Amino acid sequence: MKKCLRDEIPMAKILFINPVVREEDVPRHVPYGIALLAAIARDAGHLVQVYDANAWRMGEDILRQVLEADNWDVIALGGITTAYGSAKSIIGTARETCPEAVIVLGGGLLTSMPRDMMAWLPAVDVGVIGEAFITWPEILEMVDAGDRDWSQIPGTISRKDNGALIMSAQRELLNDLDSLPYPAWDFFPLEEVYFKNSEVLFSEEGMLAQRRIDINASYGCSLVCKFCFHLGIAGDMRYEEDSDGVVNPRFDVPGNHTRTTRYHSPEYIVKMAKYAKDTFNVDYIGFLDENLMTMDQYSGRTWLNEICRLWHENGLAPKPEFDSDGRMTGWTGMYWSGTSHATLCTKEVLKTMREAGCSHLVYGYESFAPHVLKTIGKGASRKTNIRSFFWTLEAGIRPVPNQIMGFPNDDFESLRMSMEAWKELGIVVKPHFATPYPGSEWFAVFRKSIEEQYDGDLEKFILEVGDATSISAVISQNFNAVELIGLRDMMVNGEHRLIDEYEKVWRRNHGIADGEPSTLVAGSRK
Amino acid sequence: MTSVLKGNFAPKKDVKPAAKEQEDLEATFEASALKRLGGSIAFVSKKRVNWDLEDK
Repeated sequence: MKKCLRDEIPMAKILFINPVVREEDVPRHVPYGIALLAAIARDAGHLVQVYDANAWRMGEDILRQVLEADNWDVIALGGITTAYGSAKSIIGTARETCPEAVIVLGGGLLTSMPRDMMAWLPAVDVGVIGEAFITWPEILEMVDAGDRDWSQIPGTISRKDNGALIMSAQRELLNDLDSLPYPAWDFFPLEEVYFKNSEVLFSEEGMLAQRRIDINASYGCSLVCKFCFHLGIAGDMRYEEDSDGVVNPRFDVPGNHTRTTRYHSPEYIVKMAKYAKDTFNVDYIGFLDENLMTMDQYSGRTWLNEICRLWHENGLAPKPEFDSDGRMTGWTGMYWSGTSHATLCTKEVLKTMREAGCSHLVYGYESFAPHVLKTIGKGASRKTNIRSFFWTLEAGIRPVPNQIMGFPNDDFESLRMSMEAWKELGIVVKPHFATPYPGSEWFAVFRKSIEEQYDGDLEKFILEVGDATSISAVISQNFNAVELIGLRDMMVNGEHRLIDEYEKVWRRNHGIADGEPSTLVAGSRK
Repeated sequence: MTSVLKGNFAPKKDVKPAAKEQEDLEATFEASALKRLGGSIAFVSKKRVNWDLEDK
């Protein structure tokens, strides 16, 4: 182990590896959590290297070279559930190549089901459950001290000598978010990979972005969407003991949703954006926040106004530049984008955001059918979906209207309602499939059904589940996977006649008479 | 080619992948063709070919 030159204390030598995710697309996002944890380790005096496997997409040979490049004390990985396949492969190679290294796994993929993950990944020494900002440096201190009693560190899961899993006490969330360093963006291939993939095809300004970077201004979301997992960092996680005395983290379940709302100060956010501009010549900022509007509402409608005011005050508000034909070619300052909410946005804040350079806002409209919307916990309605759509357009911001199909009570009528709205509003969309990601309420509700769909092998589901553009476990109570895929194709192409024809077959198959609601879900349409 | 490792110290060995132009061209072609798959656009993914295939 190396010694820190500053104080001659042995300091761990750390290799972060970012697993591959969304392999069907180019890498677009510096992994924010890993970049923050790398900065925390660096600031504590550790020797840190990052291998961003998702950015480089280099394969097994380069991975082995990376693992053999030094004597790593700690190899740390993290990611969301859809990175599981890559993480599993990397961890296996890491253990084989670096038998003495401490392998640490964190992020949403570990947090959502820590006992399952530790069982499927026996090479992992210690898992970090939930937020790692406090837990991670404590793990490194223990490595520095030559100890391995991870159970003394809250927020971990580890193994006893006999292999049994041991979960330590729950870790509290960090109160003072502004105490965090800025992400160690310079530890990632910005020039080689990420800036080349700056384009975001959600707005004209996003399309023209040349040097985009993402920032995260808040943690969590006050809403209780049943398809959402908040990574255990939104106050959504609590430890519960079952009847056998086994403790497990629990997340949203029907009737039990807990939340802690946290956000950076506007001063911190704008200073960080200005740092990105000054250091990396960034021209576009993507806010990764789950939902900017829930934070704004929680702040008493001051947060976004203050961010926008400071954006102007620091000279970050973009000024477009045009060629002789009047086409925009670039800009000074930085455009930016983020997430909004149909019910929580206001006309006034949208106008203020546009004036500060907001180019597009993602809305999870999900559906335009009232009987579906009221079951998903979104706190939005058809009316507020449409209202926010026009408010956003009128402000000069492009709304990005996400849609989902295959909700538990989606039926022919709800699909038609969404199609009508797409036509009326000019929305061009290919809906995602409702997917029960681990940690979400619908994962808890439908777990038995999910396991049955994968021959009782939950790991098969975890290996298959992607970003919901393709189908995995079905939670629709009315349609199977074949029907959902076919119906989505007909919806996207506006083929009402084919949908009408198939509904006749479906009604015959299920014994549902004409004139009755096209659903197998009792009470769905009341 | 720059190092694939980035951090705050020089590791004992640097990792700089060799350029793989031929493979890159093939990968670029297949990725581009895949985006337009459908109708008369069809292609052979060379890595998936079973060269030992025999008549049954």
